[in-house]
Amino acid sequence: MELTRTQSRILMRICWALSLGVVAVPFVFPFLWMVSSGFKSATEIFGQPSLIPRVWRWGNFVEVFEYQPFARQYFNSIYIASSVTVITLILSSLAGYALARIRFAGAGLLMLFLVSALMVPEEVTIVPNFFLMKWLGVMDTHVPLILLPVFGPHGVMATFLMRQYFVALPKELEEAGKLDGLSRVGIWWKIALPMSRPALAAVAIITFLFSWNLFLEPLVFLSSLENFTLPLALSNFTDPYGAPLWHLQLAATSLAVLPILIVYLIAQRQIIESFAMSGVKG
Amino acid sequence: MGTLPDSDTTARASRAPWLTLRRREAIEGWLFVSPTLIGFLIFFLGPLIAVVFYSLSEWNLLSQKTTYVGLANYADALTENPDFWHVIRNSVFFAAGLVPMNMALALALAISLSRPGKGVVFFRTVFFAPVITSAVAWAIVWKFLLQGEAGAVNQMLAQVGIDGPNWLREPNWAMVAVIVTRVIKMVGLNMILYIAALQAIPRDYEQAARLEGASGWQIFRMVTWPLLAPTTLIIMVITTIGSFKVFDHIYLMTGGGPENGTLVLAYYIYEQAFEFFNIGYASALAMIMFVIVLSLTIVQLLLRQKGSA
Amino acid sequence: MTKLRTLSTAGAMIALLSGPLAAQELRFTVWTGNDAHLAMLNGIADSFTATHPGVTVKYETIPAGDYVQKLTFQLAGGNPPDLGWMFENSIPTFIAAGAVRDLAPTLTSTEGYDVADFSEPAMGLWTQGDSIYGVPFSTSPFMIYFNKDMFDAAGLEDPLTLAAKGEWDMEKFREVAKALSEANDAYGFEFKDGQGYDSRIMHAIMPPIRAYGGFAWQDGECGFNKPEAVAALTMLHEMVFADGSIVPPGEQGDYFSGGSAMTINQISRASKMPEAGFNWGIAPLPTGPAGAAPIIGQAGLAVFSESKNPELAAEFIAHMTNAENVAVMAQFFPPARKSVLDSEAFINANALIPAEQMANVSAAIEEGRVLPSHERSPQIDAAMKPRFDAFWRADADVAASLDAVCEAIKGEL
Repeated sequence: MELTRTQSRILMRICWALSLGVVAVPFVFPFLWMVSSGFKSATEIFGQPSLIPRVWRWGNFVEVFEYQPFARQYFNSIYIASSVTVITLILSSLAGYALARIRFAGAGLLMLFLVSALMVPEEVTIVPNFFLMKWLGVMDTHVPLILLPVFGPHGVMATFLMRQYFVALPKELEEAGKLDGLSRVGIWWKIALPMSRPALAAVAIITFLFSWNLFLEPLVFLSSLENFTLPLALSNFTDPYGAPLWHLQLAATSLAVLPILIVYLIAQRQIIESFAMSGVKG
Repeated sequence: MGTLPDSDTTARASRAPWLTLRRREAIEGWLFVSPTLIGFLIFFLGPLIAVVFYSLSEWNLLSQKTTYVGLANYADALTENPDFWHVIRNSVFFAAGLVPMNMALALALAISLSRPGKGVVFFRTVFFAPVITSAVAWAIVWKFLLQGEAGAVNQMLAQVGIDGPNWLREPNWAMVAVIVTRVIKMVGLNMILYIAALQAIPRDYEQAARLEGASGWQIFRMVTWPLLAPTTLIIMVITTIGSFKVFDHIYLMTGGGPENGTLVLAYYIYEQAFEFFNIGYASALAMIMFVIVLSLTIVQLLLRQKGSA
Repeated sequence: MTKLRTLSTAGAMIALLSGPLAAQELRFTVWTGNDAHLAMLNGIADSFTATHPGVTVKYETIPAGDYVQKLTFQLAGGNPPDLGWMFENSIPTFIAAGAVRDLAPTLTSTEGYDVADFSEPAMGLWTQGDSIYGVPFSTSPFMIYFNKDMFDAAGLEDPLTLAAKGEWDMEKFREVAKALSEANDAYGFEFKDGQGYDSRIMHAIMPPIRAYGGFAWQDGECGFNKPEAVAALTMLHEMVFADGSIVPPGEQGDYFSGGSAMTINQISRASKMPEAGFNWGIAPLPTGPAGAAPIIGQAGLAVFSESKNPELAAEFIAHMTNAENVAVMAQFFPPARKSVLDSEAFINANALIPAEQMANVSAAIEEGRVLPSHERSPQIDAAMKPRFDAFWRADADVAASLDAVCEAIKGEL
């Protein structure tokens, strides 16, 4: 039987969808399994695998909050990530603007200097930072979790992203600002920033997620339960004697992951583009 | 500012205002970058220099005693401690497994998803979703899925008659498991970078090649792949460095085990510093990691220059 | 406005006047987040405040899994707690590093505090010469928990009955475990909290090793490859891989939810039993060629050298471990004070465990030996772990892999 052009095209398309569908299984299944296991009892999680729990134990999600100060930990993550995002936006757009649009001696060297930071893993500087934070008296507070992402390699990456965007803005920008009698800060705030909303959004998205998902720094700097952030809290569902509480852990993980996932599904285009920008520039 | 109302022209010529436009710009520029720069010096460069000094000492966190030992920590790592070379071997295996697998899959997915069409957005969203998910959550879930006989992965394999290994209990399988789950977690990022690069290639190139009777594979090899080279290089650098940084994934999935089979450099530094409290030795390891990452980056950048020349 | 100012001035005056008395806070780290535990601890703190006005005690929960690490971070990070709970396996490290204070001067000078009331074996780990670096508050023996229903289903006599007849030995244990796993849809035995291959290696291997007359290490010598330990661990290995009666590595068989017929644990775990939904009991550990070898896990109280109020913290420990409060704590934590241990009250203190089973607990506390520990235990644990991973392979050469364990840790001993 001969296939017409359209028929073969449709067949190709089906094969395409099927093969991608198979590849997609390990990307999707963990999420489904995580949520469904959050409803199960500890025993059922390791019983016959099924995505539908035998009994829907909504109680797991209540117990999560009883077991640890989970609401508090959730709030910690939200406010830390928000602070990091706001500070990073301000500092990176200031520095990025200067590097892109102000001609000053040493700018090129400074760029090179900063860019070298992108190659240094956090593990290299974590030990001295531990002692620095001790000296500053901010152990077991959220200060290190805000300072280190802002000024570390991630902050540098944000600065570069902003710089790339500012470079591409039209030349006449400053002149228009000066005609309006604006100072440098005025030009930055009133003209440059409003024009660079996509870049700001990209920096905000990546920075928020970066801080939200941070693990090594909270692990090293936090020691009291009520100061924990979400990732640290998730790794910590054990009873007072150290035995794991699997069902609670998975319920808590679902609670931590789902809101982000929902926002992602709504704004997936914007979020994916943000990462594309950062990757290309960084 | 800068000129007085009663100054005459000769005075102005001989005594030019200190705050010239250039100086003003320079001051503005440095002021704008100063918060970032100062923070960077304190929280990044300072610590980076401090590590060098730490690495020359023996320093126990609990007893808080410090003694200068010169290069003994480096000597210990490089010549005495068998764990160190084991760790380096693991790190190299991890990178060598992760980088090619990640890049090949990313490119394949990108090619399948670079043209608009029905379902493209759906699949892109799916493949990218793990990227935004916390590594902690990802590792926790996979740790469950990869349990011995009771784990979901082995239960599914059993359905099709495969007797799956005890993934996280056999050193080699554990390494495979952390690599593959890490690839699934991060491949979306490289996929979108490749998609962006593919979309930047003008369609005429491909059409021209097609008119000359080139096959799909030939077009890819002769046209697409060379044009993707800069992107490929960037991705390679990012992914390689990223593979040396992986900590949370391993901390939660295997804890460096079994039989130290997944003990990689980032985890080893953490363990030495914050579990055994050997600050000096851990700092020496950190310096070694710094040198490794730096030289890998330089090598890759040199390769690019050679390629483009 | 003026009113406010007057008020705040008055407030400042009061604060000034009460200055010398006020605001001494003791920070006390614990690894429990359990409400009942904390309520009891707060009660003890309240009675201390009654005699020490102005002193408050703040309990801070650090999760058990990271306890030593986080505690060290706090001590080294310039944010030191004053006192805290200590595990038996970390106290030697802390003593060697000078991180805990000698409590002997305070304890001996406290009126009515009888140090000699603490049983000597229980104090061994916490004293050096005349110095006392910690006071055990929980001296908890390991017991066999069994699922009575599963024994009945298999038509077997339960461990309590066997122990009463003097037949509860390692051979019998192996036989019973195998029969149980065959008769039930469950494993015969699970290591402590299913963690025997990870964080609880010592809890898994030491009971049989000691029952066979072996040891972990002694005077710098490694005991894992001595014939007694090899025999004990060979049996354990066969139970896991040949009999299939012990939950193997990477598998799940939670005793408390019916996945295994027996497990080993401390009596604090009885709190999980009411919701388990099966008949159960606790029995002594099986005896071995070396006779009975009860094993104890300990936790103690210590004052940290970095403490800003060391005297006060030591006084609080003296208060918390006086005879009266030890009796209070005995509802959760088996005591090391002989006067409390021998009392009727203790035998009847646990609502969940019948008195005759509690008598076994008392006996085990008095005769038991604490789990091995060492001042370099973090390093020893880390060196041991990968070698025991290799030991716990189905095809492992038991003797050779135990040689490897000893080879790996001998430098640390």
